[in-house]
Amino acid sequence: MIRATVVLLLAAGPACAQQPATVNATLTAIDGIRVGHHTLAERPTGCTVILVDGRAVAGVAQRGSAPGTRDTDLLLPVNAADRIDAVTLSGGSAFGLDAANGVMRFLDERQSWLTRLTSGMDVPTVSSAVLIDLWVGGKPSIRPDAECGYRAAAAASRAPVAEGSVGAGAGATVGKLTGLDRAMKGGIGSAALALPSGLRVAAIVVVNALGDVVDPSTGAVVAGARNDAGGLADARRLLRAGAALQRTRVAENTTLGVVATNALLTKAEANRVALMADDGIARAVTPAHTSADGDTVFAIATGQWRGAADSSVIGALAADLVAEAIVRAVRQATSVAAVPAARDLK
Amino acid sequence: MRTALAVAAASMLVAGAQQSGGPNATLTAVAGIKVGHFTLAERPTGCTVVLVDGDAVGGVSQRGGAPGTRETDLLNPLNMVDKVNAIVLAGGSAFGLEAATGAVRWLEEHNIGWPAGASRVPIVPAAIIFDLGVGGNPKVRPTADCGYKAAAAATSGPAQEGTIGAGAGATVGKLGGPGRSTKSGIGTAAVTLPNGLVVAAIVAVNAVGDIIDPATGKVVAGVRNPDGTFADARKILRSGSIGQPRAGENTTIGVVATNARLSKALAARMALMADDGYARAISPSHTNGDGDTVFSLATGRWDGTADITVIGALAAEVMADAIVRAASQATGVAGIPAARDLRK
Repeated sequence: MIRATVVLLLAAGPACAQQPATVNATLTAIDGIRVGHHTLAERPTGCTVILVDGRAVAGVAQRGSAPGTRDTDLLLPVNAADRIDAVTLSGGSAFGLDAANGVMRFLDERQSWLTRLTSGMDVPTVSSAVLIDLWVGGKPSIRPDAECGYRAAAAASRAPVAEGSVGAGAGATVGKLTGLDRAMKGGIGSAALALPSGLRVAAIVVVNALGDVVDPSTGAVVAGARNDAGGLADARRLLRAGAALQRTRVAENTTLGVVATNALLTKAEANRVALMADDGIARAVTPAHTSADGDTVFAIATGQWRGAADSSVIGALAADLVAEAIVRAVRQATSVAAVPAARDLK
Repeated sequence: MRTALAVAAASMLVAGAQQSGGPNATLTAVAGIKVGHFTLAERPTGCTVVLVDGDAVGGVSQRGGAPGTRETDLLNPLNMVDKVNAIVLAGGSAFGLEAATGAVRWLEEHNIGWPAGASRVPIVPAAIIFDLGVGGNPKVRPTADCGYKAAAAATSGPAQEGTIGAGAGATVGKLGGPGRSTKSGIGTAAVTLPNGLVVAAIVAVNAVGDIIDPATGKVVAGVRNPDGTFADARKILRSGSIGQPRAGENTTIGVVATNARLSKALAARMALMADDGYARAISPSHTNGDGDTVFSLATGRWDGTADITVIGALAAEVMADAIVRAASQATGVAGIPAARDLRK
């Protein structure tokens, strides 16, 4: 019922569907979380910045085989850092890690005189991960840089997050097991849930997988490798039949996510939530975590809600929402650079 | 479609589903892999030994929050030993790790192990499930004798499934509180590609969560309603009506095997990807109350080439298949009905 206005919204905007302001069912449903996108005009690529107001702990699950990351080690429970200020998701392969430099600059500029006076200098903690979209749009030298990160951070707001072919999802694609010419458009999607107790859990995911996107509630493929007739081939069937697959290429994939909750978690619990949230990628992307995907999920706990919730419950909900956000990412995506989107299928 | 199999007398005490006819679609479809169960009927609980003829490259993915394991650090690709001789899956919580001792003894008697100077040291990683709450006699748990007997019973015939071996005391669907769980067990599945690549899985499913058929999104076994239908853990979670899941009663442990030749690092990647089968067929999975662990074995007896992405993706597929079979092939014990008992 939250999605009842989707039809109206699709008519309103070509690149991204906005959800109704009354019920925010996106990552910004978590108080203290702001999201900003910046999309480059020269080639479909861009970055998405998740800003955290106030103190929050974070964790990470990094299980894809071809990751591009920055400041993930410090999130491990054995390491010292005990807060996070922002997470940057970016296109542009390893070059796109530059976007985090702009987010650092943005946060540094906004440190209060009081902070500078009392502690001299706070070093912002900005964890980042990139996806590989250099082949889309024909100009691989165009990629998100520090300026992109700065602008996305400056654009961050508490409004419902724009979804589809925008920000880090601008150049994202899925369904590449049988070659890039059979791929479909991926994108960025978001979902959120509020329990009667006041616990909130939300997710944002940029979907650029080698595999297909599957709706786990039905088992049906939503977007993925296309067959000769232009329909969906179903990667699971291709794999089980031993079909000749394109030699999987490292340089074209990766799914990245951020889950957030208003619960109070330890750093170890935040890592458990990230680990469980990663199950959402397994459920909605098939295959997932391949040698050609750098799949990475961050978890942020703001601690603004002080009710009691088990990290297993939060992790289970996070996995559900990651899967939902993945399905939304491809349903909300619009075609770019001749790569068709799910909505273009008959 | 699966061939019938005479089983060790001990395992007959509790019914396990036998597969009949057609090609072997179980873990033993991978040449060189044998499976043996031993079931302690007193409670029930038991252990399952996956024996490798000679040795195989091994890997592990350990992602559940409450593991009970042995020799898993050794499987880290940074560490030296890259071959394993057997994997033991057992009930009995941490006590059940003792079953590996019996498998080691059996292997030593057969002069199988890692060449270490004067002797051969059998390499036997193991993991356990927490089933002490089933059957009312928590003092009964798999011992070294159980592991020895399961190793001695191991055959290359189709592996038995259901309420047997490490799956004898396994249950699922524990998010609805006591008295609403469903009996589960051990399941196995295999796929053979036209080029000769074989990927197979075996799994003892004792999850806190429900078992979901990923092909349809439907619950196969899980939290029961009073009328014998399933409540659906996903709905329970989203309604916010659950309290804290209880630790100490859960865990899913499995093995995937292939006839491909893999490095130790790629075997670890295969285990990691196979673990996605847990995520797809169990909801929720990898909780604090589950010690979910997946081992991988690569025998290298097939000379073809296959990408690790294909092997790992198939491992996840057959693992999900095996989990669904663990639930559908189980029979009720100790007052806990299985999915087949609930069918109208």
